[in-house]
Amino acid sequence: MTEAPTVFELLEGVSIAVAMRDSLWLYPIVETAHILGFIVLVGAVLMFDLRVLGASKRIPVRLLAGHLLTGSAASLAVVIPAGLLMFLADAGSIAGNPAFILKMALLLCAGANAAAFHLGPYRSVASWDMGTPAPAAAKLHAALSMLLWVSIATCGRAIAYV
Amino acid sequence: MTSRMVTFLVSFSLPLAALAHHGWNGYDSSRGLTLTGTIVEASYTYPHATIKLKTMDGTWEAVLAPPSRMSARGIAGDALKPGLAATVEGYPSRQHDDEMRAERITLDGRIVELR
Repeated sequence: MTEAPTVFELLEGVSIAVAMRDSLWLYPIVETAHILGFIVLVGAVLMFDLRVLGASKRIPVRLLAGHLLTGSAASLAVVIPAGLLMFLADAGSIAGNPAFILKMALLLCAGANAAAFHLGPYRSVASWDMGTPAPAAAKLHAALSMLLWVSIATCGRAIAYV
Repeated sequence: MTSRMVTFLVSFSLPLAALAHHGWNGYDSSRGLTLTGTIVEASYTYPHATIKLKTMDGTWEAVLAPPSRMSARGIAGDALKPGLAATVEGYPSRQHDDEMRAERITLDGRIVELR
């Protein structure tokens, strides 16, 4: 290669990235941690979204949020570092991977959607906590959330195939 | 998602697609390729092991399998030493003239499937 290395190619040289590439076990372990983490993250989010959309109305929304969304948030402590490590191992290539770029863009959308839900319709949750349909705005955020998270998981898997 | 956002994401992603060189779409599976030569460089690393193979048609980079799979199929890290003869069978990259993804490798007379 004649061009100067990109910042992503330089990132591949940090010692933990080298260890990710060289160790026979580290990469598969980190990859498995990433998968287990996002199973909890995405699974809990989808189950909560279904409740907002009208499933299992006898379960109070706030109780369910306390259980599922706490688990989701905690799982980020595993998912993000594990994902970052896999990125570092092959940063020069992954940074230009279209599935990865789309996944990052969709993650920003999912974060903005979750924030808009919590700062918007969720503030009135006391009035639709149990036995009452959620307001249309809440359902819209929940449906969008499901679409986004399924797309994010799909893009994540697609990084290896595009 | 608005159609404008989709247009934005797609137009943002497409030019960068040319940079991607791992994965499947980047290799032309309609053109099989068999290369025989001498290993001049070997990297037993994640996500894929690679070798540089010096052949009569120049030096090629062959993308192999993850080390875990290579190891499970009986190719340890020290089996890919520079100087050894190897034959790789696979598909050429669409982006890089001297890169191919190997479906199988022949080392020391033994054929090992990589997929």
